[in-house]
Formats: sequence, structure tokens, C-alpha cells
Amino acid sequence: MSAAFDDSSDEQQLYAADPEWADVVPLQQYEGVDPIAPIFYSEEYKDATDYFRGIVKTGEMSPKVLKLTEHIIRMNPAHYSAWQYRYKTLIALNSPLKAELELMDNFAIQFLKTYQVWHHRRLLLGALRSVDVAVRELAFVTRTLRTDTKNYHTWSYRQWILAHFNDEARLWPGELPWVEELLEEDVRNNSAWHHRFFVVWQSGVRRDEVDREEVLRRELAFTKEKISLAPNNQSAWNYLRGVLDHTHTPYASLTSFVQPYTVGAPSDPEDSIVDLENPRPSAGAELPSLPALEFLADIYEAEGGDGISKAVRIWKSLADEHDTIRKKYWEYRIKDALHGAQ
Amino acid sequence: MTSSEPTTSDQLRPTPTDGYPSPTSRLQTATEDILRAHQPSAGTPPILNRNLHIQYLLRNLQQGFPERYTSQDASQTWLLFWTLQGFSTLGIGLDDRTKQRRAPSIDTLLAAQHPEGGFGGGPGQLAHQLPTFAAVSALAIAGRPGPGGGWDEIDRAKMYTWFLSLKQPDGSFKVSHDGEVDVRGLYCLLVCATLLNILTPELLAGVPEFLASCQTYEGGFGSASFGEWAFREDGHAPDYSAPRPTLGEAHGGYTYCATAAWALVQPYLRLYYAPTPAGPKPAPTISMRGLARWYATMQGGRAELGGLRGRTNKLVDGCYAWWVGGGAAVVAGMLKEQEDARAGAEELQEGAEAQNEGWEDEEVDDSLLNRPALQQYVLCAAQHPAGGLRDKPPKHADAYHTLYCLSGLSAAQHRVVPNASRRATLRSSWDADKARSMEGSATASSSDGEQSLLDELRRESFVSALSWLEEEGTEQYVGGAVNRVNATHPLFDLTVTHAEGIMAHFYGQTLPVRRPQPRPRNKPADA
Ligand SMILES: [Zn+2]
Repeated sequence: MSAAFDDSSDEQQLYAADPEWADVVPLQQYEGVDPIAPIFYSEEYKDATDYFRGIVKTGEMSPKVLKLTEHIIRMNPAHYSAWQYRYKTLIALNSPLKAELELMDNFAIQFLKTYQVWHHRRLLLGALRSVDVAVRELAFVTRTLRTDTKNYHTWSYRQWILAHFNDEARLWPGELPWVEELLEEDVRNNSAWHHRFFVVWQSGVRRDEVDREEVLRRELAFTKEKISLAPNNQSAWNYLRGVLDHTHTPYASLTSFVQPYTVGAPSDPEDSIVDLENPRPSAGAELPSLPALEFLADIYEAEGGDGISKAVRIWKSLADEHDTIRKKYWEYRIKDALHGAQ
Repeated sequence: MTSSEPTTSDQLRPTPTDGYPSPTSRLQTATEDILRAHQPSAGTPPILNRNLHIQYLLRNLQQGFPERYTSQDASQTWLLFWTLQGFSTLGIGLDDRTKQRRAPSIDTLLAAQHPEGGFGGGPGQLAHQLPTFAAVSALAIAGRPGPGGGWDEIDRAKMYTWFLSLKQPDGSFKVSHDGEVDVRGLYCLLVCATLLNILTPELLAGVPEFLASCQTYEGGFGSASFGEWAFREDGHAPDYSAPRPTLGEAHGGYTYCATAAWALVQPYLRLYYAPTPAGPKPAPTISMRGLARWYATMQGGRAELGGLRGRTNKLVDGCYAWWVGGGAAVVAGMLKEQEDARAGAEELQEGAEAQNEGWEDEEVDDSLLNRPALQQYVLCAAQHPAGGLRDKPPKHADAYHTLYCLSGLSAAQHRVVPNASRRATLRSSWDADKARSMEGSATASSSDGEQSLLDELRRESFVSALSWLEEEGTEQYVGGAVNRVNATHPLFDLTVTHAEGIMAHFYGQTLPVRRPQPRPRNKPADA
């Protein structure tokens, strides 16, 4: 990898003029076709991809292919064929994959939004089969998520690492404290909430979390506390619902927690007894909280009987007053509940 | 018709920050500040700048794309699909203003076909599910039967073999050799296999299970699930009880793909999961309720002009007008099918109707989203003043957002849903022998029983897909009918006519004439 292409120092000369490439026959993109809606490539890009097509045709896998594919990827990181051919060449040449991973660090930061950047790392990790490398990767992902806290590919890559290597001692233990840090910084970061669900509920049971009742208590307490800080935060409410659904816990078990969030104004702190299990809305809360109203209606609907008409009353208030943008949806809920009640 | 906007407490209310701002809420507030300047002004109906958008698309088609589109070099078939479908949505056929463009479009698309099956993003590129979908869809618009027409030049047998070579033990597919697994690729594959008559039980094995495992606790779908724990050494019979955690949170793009894919596998679920001599196979399920809720919660408030976001607590963006708006239309269609089935059963039991408390007859528009508000977002915020459409102001227009804003506008204007009488007509005119002779996967069934089941799968896939029709009298045009765009099929993002054309060809069917489909038992729209 010492010959890795350096795009900053001297001007790139065309492959067509490079004696090292004289043995490769470049292939034009369109032969005998006058393409419609063509892209106006730069000379440099056109030249490089002409040689790439030439290489693919002959199947050559050599160090200079690594230079060429890196060059193309730097100009267009979404060129999945260049990525794929590069990976095959790395394997064929028995190239040091850790060095490739290090080279990729700079790519990932530059081309954060590109699928291929992250997928290539996944291929490398799969081939390296090393928990040490996986540990290093988690640290790298943590760093990149600092600048782009909701990058979808980065998050799913992290989840893949955890699931694929599944190392109880070295990979999983840091996840929960880290998610808490992220939610401390931004309680509305839905990616972090999803990650919490992935870690706690979806990917099996951690060694120190075999007491699932205790885990449930902990998660409910954590979520309620976050809801009390920002009662209109949909992410926290969705997590709460997710936990209850996953553990088959009735929503009604949270009735006394939810109630204070469904009224018009925060209650006077003087006349409310401090209930650690049911934290009240913060002083700045904008009430009623729509997710709380929705939640309460779901409690009523599950009750059946008279509960249905109480639920319908809430849905009507959402449809006509608090959340008119979703009028159609609330009407659908009413229709559905009335049908189900028959 | 225009929406009658009620004056209520939530009118233009900024998204609450609860006195507890965070990076997400700060970005949200800043975005609402920008969108505020784009609120429709009272008395001036918003206008679709149709001619500017047609000019924008024509410029791309005729002059090509500037250098910054090099980032789309691996998506050339997409650029063509976005452009051609943009024309279809705006009512421009390839035979009027773009007459000379048909043959070069077909040649350009076919040049991206890979010698070993499937299409790449351009000539000489590796075959990949996404550009394959885009090429097949673009050919549905531009192509026709016969030599040089593009359709018969698609190598379906090779495409089918290539599809199978990408299949994973958990029912998922890689998008390309050495590529990633996700539900986008799966959706693309299912659309191609459905349109081209190469859908087989071999291809579909494990697909519903994989799809179901991608639904997250929020109700929407993530990119994929981690299935490796469930792979057994013998390569067969995955252990469905093993956890398959979702990779990535619920997301508009993946959720659209998974929802449409779920609709496309319904015939397979009905036919192959019923009790068989070998014993019943447990059918995977998804939470339709959770899914419907997720779609509804993606709609921004009035301060965001009713635009759609792609994930919880993210910003609205014009392209989700389609991914979320189109996906919600698929759910609405599936719910209607359930409703039809239920109503059919109820009609058998006399007197059941009286219990509906009037809801059934009051409702004309039973979509999950606020259709007028979504139109407002597209018309007021997503149109670039110089032509083309965009994510949100002050961004530039691009080919991708231009199509998906228009498709989203279409989904908000029209209601395209499964139609029971069309389904019956299509079934009765079905020619099984012709469909079998046109089958493109070149696989042979081993027994008569398997063959007849496969015949049924083929018929039901055809009938289900083409039973989606616009319900006359349910269209709503914010700003008036002058803003009308063509209806689009929620499963394909093609016009119903284009979907019919390519499917009739590849299934060897002659389609019965479509008649206007008035909505039964209801008052007309805007009464
Ligand atoms: Zn977008």
C-alpha cells in the first residue's frame, strides 16, 4: 500500500499517457450507442473509468489496480463496481487488510454518507475475523458519530459489529453507558434510542442482565425520567411503547405516570407529592403532550367497554384540536376501535 | 378542491421544545423558521410550475447532466428512470415532446445490462439490484414488445439465475456480489420478478420471514436484520426462534420498500403457508397497526407545511413525500382490502351494517395522512423557482428529488387502491397456458401439484398487482385541477397503464378494458 495514490501533491497525469498502463486497453463506456442524458465527466474521471473497464474485462488483479480503484473512489465514492473490484483484488493479492482499514478511516470521514464506504469496512472486518479489530472499530465509529450523530450507515455498521462478533467481555459492556451519554447530549436522538433497544432487548441477553424483571424496571425508570425532561419527545415515547410491547406489559400499568402529561398545564409542584416512580412533567413542559394523550387513549381502548368511548373522546380532541394535521389518522383509529368493539 | 383549514390551537404551533432544547430541537426550530416564509398566503392558491419542471427534465434528457452528477455515474439507469417517470407524472408521453428519445433511451438502458444477468449502473459496471430495478422500470415506460423495443432484450433467464446467486440463508438477498443485504434490494428484486414473470417459490423462500424481522419497535422498518445467528450449518431450515435484531432504526426509504415488498409477497403467503400435506408452515406476521401509526407520525405539523420526515425527530424532506406518502398509500390499500373482505363477510350477516355508527358513509378519504397538507409542502416548499424540485428551501433541485416530490404529490392527489371487481375481472380473463409459456425463469417444476401451485402464484401475483386502480371521485387537488399530475401505482411508482403494458406482455395476457371505478356506497368527494 506504499504506492497509495496521493491526490494532493502533483497533478494527476492521465493513464493514457502513463507507460505503466500501456499494456491495458481502455474501454469506452458506450460503444456504438449514442447515449441519452449523458453525464459530462471530467477528463480525469473519464480516463480512469475507461481504464477500469479495460481492467475488469481482462480480469487483471495487481497492485496498480488498487491505485486505480482508489483514484476512482476518491472521485466518486458511490462507484460500487470499483469498490467490489478493489476488495477482490485485495484478497487475491493477499494485501494487508489492516492497512486497508486504516486507509479507509480517512475515506469514511470524507464520504460519511456513502453506503460503500461502510460496506467495505464490513467486508474487511469479516475477512480479518479479529475481536481486537472490532474493538478498534467501535472506537472509530464512536468518533465519527460525534460529528454526524444520526448517520444511518454508521449506526447499522456498529450494530452489525456487535452482533457479528458478539463478544460478551470486550464489545457489549460499553454500549449502554455510551448510549446514555448520547442521550444526555441529545435526548431526541432517535438513533441512540434505537440503539438502546437493540442492545437491551433485541440481540439476546447480556451476562449481567439475566434478571429481565430488573431490566424492565430499569428501562421504565430511565425512560420515564427522560420523558419528564421533554414530554413531547416522540423518540422516548416510542421507546416506552417498544419496551411495553416487547415485554407484553399492559400500557395500563403506566396510567398514573401518564395522566399528569395529558392535562392542560403542569400541576403546581407544591401540591404534588414527589413520586420517584412517576416523575412529573418538568416546569417548562408544553402540555398536554400529544404522545401522552395518544398513550392514554391506547390504555382506554385496551380496557374495552366504556373505555372505548373515553378513547374516542381523546382521539376526537386530537383530530379536532391538538393534532389536526393527523385528523385522518385519528379518525381511522376511531373507526377501527368502533369496529373492534362490536 | 382546497382544504378547509380549521383554526385551532395547533395552527402553526412550532414543535414544542418543552423548555429543554437539544441539538435536534434546535435544528428543528431553525428549519421551521425557514419554512415559515413558504407558508401559503391566504387567497393565492399554490401553483405547480409545470412548464418549468418539464423544461428542467427536458434539459437533463437532451443536454445531459453536468459534471457534479459524476456522483451518479453508478446510477445512470436511475437518472433515466427519474427523468422518464417525471415526464409520465407530468403527463408527457415519449410520443409527443420527447418523440426522438424513445430509441436512444432503450439503447442506453440496454447498454447497462450485464452479460451474466441483471443491470449495472452503467455499461461495464457490475450487476446490482438497484440499477436493475431502475432499468426495468424505465423500460416499462420507454420500451415495447418486438425487436429493438427493449422488453424482449431483457435476459430474464440470466437475471433469474443472478437473483438466485445473491440469495442468503435467512431469505434476504445481497444487492450485488460482495454487496450488502437490505430491504431496498429485496424490493427491487420483487418488483422486477413480478413485472417480468420470473417470480417463483424458490426465489421467495424465507422472504416474508426476513421482511417481518426488519420491522422495528417503532412500527416502521430498518435496513436489514442480523440473521447469521439463525443460519444452521446444513444451510437449510433457519431457526426462526433465534433473535434477528434490526440493523438501523425505522426509516422512510426502507419502510417504503418493506411495505411494498410485503404487499407483493401476499400471494405467496396465502398459497404457500396454508396447511400443506407436509404440514403447516407458520406464517410470519407484521404489525399493520404499528406500521400505520408509524406512517402517520412521520407527517410534520403545520409549521412544517405538513411535509413528511423519514425518521422520528428528523427533518421533513420532499423525497419522503413519496417514500412515506407512497408507503402510506400501500398500507391504506391493504387496509381497504381487509375492510372489503370484512364488509363482504358482514353483508352476508344481515343487519351488521347498522352498527357502523355512520362512519362508513361519512368517510370519503380514508387515507392515513393529511393529503392536502402534503400537497402544500410539495407546492410551497419543494418547488425550486428555476424548475425541478428539492428536499427543502434553500436547497437546489436535483433529478432524484424532482421525481420523488412529484410522485409524492401524485400519491397525495389520487387514491389508488386494490379494486375487488377489477380483481374478479382479471381472474376470469386469465389465460394460464399463455402465462406459463411466457414464464421467464426457465425453471421446471418437478410435479403436477407444484406446477399448479406455481400457476396460481403467477396468476395471483399478476391479478393482485394489477387490481390497484384509481378510485374515481376521490382525487383532491390543492390549488385546483390545474395542479393535477398523473396517478401512480403505489407498489411500482409507474402509471397503472405502464405497469399493465409490461405485465400484459410478459404474462402473455390480453387485459380486459378498464372502466371508471366509482367508489361504492359513498357520497362524492367535496360534498
Ligand atoms: Zn430527500
